[in-house]
Amino acid sequence: MNERYRNRIELLQGTLDLLILQTLLWGRQHGYGISQAIRANSGDLLQVDAGSLYPALHRLEKQKWICADWKISENKQEVKVYRLTAAGRKQLMRERSRWEQISDAIGGVLNPGKKESAS
Amino acid sequence: MKLWWLWRKREKELEKEIQHHLQMAASDRKERGATFREAQAEARREFGNVGLVREVTRDVWGSRWLRDVAEDARYGTRMLLKNPGFTIVVILSLALGIGATTAMFSVVYGVLVNPYPYANSDRMVHLTVQQTRGNPLFINLNGPQLQQLRQAGSVESVAAMQGWNLTTTEGDLPEDVRAAYLTSNSFIYLGVPTLLGRGLLPSDAPEGQDPENVAVLGYQFWQRHYNGDPNIVGKKIQLVHKSYEIIGVARPRFTWGDGEVYLPLKLTADPARTYFPMTRLKPGVTRAAANAELQSLLEQFAKQTPSHFPEHFHVTLAGLNDHFVQRIGGTLYLLLAAVALLLLIGCGNVSILLLARGPARQHELAVRSALGAGRSRIVRQLLTEALMLSLGGAAIGVALANGLVKLIVDWLPEFSFPHEAAISINLPVLFFSVDLALLTGIVFGISPALRSARPDLAQVMQANTRKTTAGVRGRRTHSILIAGQIALTLLLLAGAGVAMQGFVGMMRVNLGYDPHNTMSVGIPVHDDTYTTWEARGTYFHQLLGKVSEMPEAVSVGLSTNATPPNNGWDERFEISGQPAAEEQRARLNFVSAGYFVVLRIPLLQGRIWYEDEAMHGAKLALINQALARQYFPNGGAIGSEIRVPALKGEPPLDLSAAGSDTWFQVVGIVGDARNDGLRNPIMPSVYVPYTIMMPVFTQILVRTSVPPLTVLHAVREQVHTVDSDQQSDRDVRDLDGWIKHEPEWEQGHLVATLFAGFGILALVLAATGLYSVISYTVAQRTGEFGIRMALGAMRKDVLLIVFRSAAMSVAAGVLAGVMLTISLHRVFTRWIQGSSLDALILVGVILLLVATSGLSCFIPARRASSVDPTVALRYE
Repeated sequence: MNERYRNRIELLQGTLDLLILQTLLWGRQHGYGISQAIRANSGDLLQVDAGSLYPALHRLEKQKWICADWKISENKQEVKVYRLTAAGRKQLMRERSRWEQISDAIGGVLNPGKKESAS
Repeated sequence: MKLWWLWRKREKELEKEIQHHLQMAASDRKERGATFREAQAEARREFGNVGLVREVTRDVWGSRWLRDVAEDARYGTRMLLKNPGFTIVVILSLALGIGATTAMFSVVYGVLVNPYPYANSDRMVHLTVQQTRGNPLFINLNGPQLQQLRQAGSVESVAAMQGWNLTTTEGDLPEDVRAAYLTSNSFIYLGVPTLLGRGLLPSDAPEGQDPENVAVLGYQFWQRHYNGDPNIVGKKIQLVHKSYEIIGVARPRFTWGDGEVYLPLKLTADPARTYFPMTRLKPGVTRAAANAELQSLLEQFAKQTPSHFPEHFHVTLAGLNDHFVQRIGGTLYLLLAAVALLLLIGCGNVSILLLARGPARQHELAVRSALGAGRSRIVRQLLTEALMLSLGGAAIGVALANGLVKLIVDWLPEFSFPHEAAISINLPVLFFSVDLALLTGIVFGISPALRSARPDLAQVMQANTRKTTAGVRGRRTHSILIAGQIALTLLLLAGAGVAMQGFVGMMRVNLGYDPHNTMSVGIPVHDDTYTTWEARGTYFHQLLGKVSEMPEAVSVGLSTNATPPNNGWDERFEISGQPAAEEQRARLNFVSAGYFVVLRIPLLQGRIWYEDEAMHGAKLALINQALARQYFPNGGAIGSEIRVPALKGEPPLDLSAAGSDTWFQVVGIVGDARNDGLRNPIMPSVYVPYTIMMPVFTQILVRTSVPPLTVLHAVREQVHTVDSDQQSDRDVRDLDGWIKHEPEWEQGHLVATLFAGFGILALVLAATGLYSVISYTVAQRTGEFGIRMALGAMRKDVLLIVFRSAAMSVAAGVLAGVMLTISLHRVFTRWIQGSSLDALILVGVILLLVATSGLSCFIPARRASSVDPTVALRYE
């Protein structure tokens, strides 16, 4: 049963981390907020399910790229909010450039003509 | 614990985070117009399986195996608490085995593995020599000889000791204090720091001067006499009117020479003064090389002081512990083997119980396996449970061991183990028990675990477990375990039988004297007192007279070296006109005429000397029957003359009557009384008046009209009236007490009691094992019995079926046990002294085992036969 989730984590591994870090660049956010932000910013295309989101958040926290604080929400509840650390900011930059390379590379493969003419 | 707490905290936080997520999702949906219920359900659906999310998130935290173990442990605890009967029986079975093994091991460790606290104790030796026959003899040397020993090539260092009984002169009656005078290098030689203050130093006994008046207290004396006063250093202690400054307190394990106070010793050049040498060999010197070198040295010494050496000897240096290993090592290992058997029987029990529970759990394990648990996961789960049981058993076992160790230490023969030994549950012993627990956990847990981990899914899931009878394989395992338990139990019981028979036989031995209502009070004479023969003789005579005045005293005698059951000096003797073909030896005793009255040793022929004859040092002798029988087979003993050539005193210590090494006239024959312990045959004995030889020690024997120890204080007061400084030995016992103090008595008592205890425990364990197997089979076959009875089987038929199933394995076990016992017969008789395995013991043990087995079968069998067929059938 957990195979289903595991596959998806692997599939999204690199990208989900990137999306989370990018989302936190705009400010602190709790888990649900992050998933909603990704969803809204992708035009409802990317839906992050909880079984991927929370392991990813805890993993990033363990790697010290994000850190968590407990805050009291408007309806007097303890809420865990995440924010980006300095190391996380650097990691985001690395991930972004890597992502751009990959997407360029994939673009090149998908449109070989363009690449040839460019060179 | 901290880790656990951290983990719990993280768990709670994750839960809060998830709940918050769900709430936010639901409230978003409500804002978009969904009803509360719809919003809740929708949010949950979108979130997915909460448990699974929790699970995969936890995976990120790492340390998964730890969590698995904790989970297994939690699950195991639940399972064990659900079956309290099972859990209690298992844990107790293991606790008994582990407890007994731990206790025995701590004794073995303390006595045989790590007995001494001294530096390089492996190179320390006792100077002992072997005579042509008999036990090794400890050799004492005088001052000049010690100096020569120090120069020997194989010797690294030498220290020396001399023991004296001193008295504290502070209380109303002088109290006996065992003083060990040590050469001033001894504390450095032994290499054990003191607990308080300092040890003796060379500066305490400067060359050519009298030693300083300083004292180091022994730990026990410090505890007893000063209640462990931490500020004792610097205070004074009065010993025989001399004041000593206390400079230190020895550590508990520093018990060299069993000293209560340690005083500096100055070696004198007086050839008569001998000291007990302590010798450390140089590294790399073999015992044989040292023996050879010291042989010539000691032969030279023997020429200087012939009376300190036997006539023919060869040097056999002995390690500090050799003597004890020889005395009690085998016994301890035998007992350790016995408790190991007990542990094995306990393990067998646990295996049986686990196996019996196996089928009942097969359903549960099949479900787990169907849900995706791997085989290794299930094995691990089952092993975790087994280890929890064994560690639980170990915890209780160690607590039991603590009590048992105290008991064993009390029962150990007092002079058969080094008093330095720290016998307790210490760290190495604890390591041993934990290892033992882990090992037992694996041993009894692995086979049921492997078997249960391979469930045939389809079969198990379909079948109602209660209906299936155990497969052939299961039954065979049970039979083997039961047979094994029975066999080992039989072995233990036979050992117990042998040990008890030996001990009871020893207690029934004909003593030849009457020990009841009699005590011996030791009188150590102070240094430099009563140094002439007349003075000491008069003194002893006065002591005798004073104690006789007591109204409670029925009869009184002196027994300088003759208090049975192990008494007299072993000496060579000659008979006038009867040249000896071979060496003639007898036990030589110095006694007063009253001795024979007190001990009720009968005079068979002739007469006993009179006290005034003794006062003149008359050379008269009595012999025992054994001597008369051996050397005067045709009579004529009375009136003959005997002589002990070595009987000569060494003033100022040992004072002898004039002509003590000349001929004595035999005036009477007395009955045989034990003089070489309880087990050996009675040796030929010669009794001469106490005045013939008066060392610095004597004993007053008193037969009293009341229990003797109740009048001990009165006896001491009488002694006090003769000499106000005269103490008596602290260790005063009645003669029954001295019998119980004999090493063979103590050893026999220890072995018989422990073996009997272990045998009974083994029997109980085996009975429990058998009972569980039978109950389990009966429960499984309830349906079958119901059908049989519905078809007309009688109660006795059902009983018979049940009995038959057990009879085979019990019979096989008995047979194996008998063969095992007979093949180990040699071991028993070698290590349990004075014992033999006879058929009576074996038959008795077999009957006991069969009867117990029958009883353990009968209870469940009766239950089976009283089943109401209708109930049994409907039960399905």
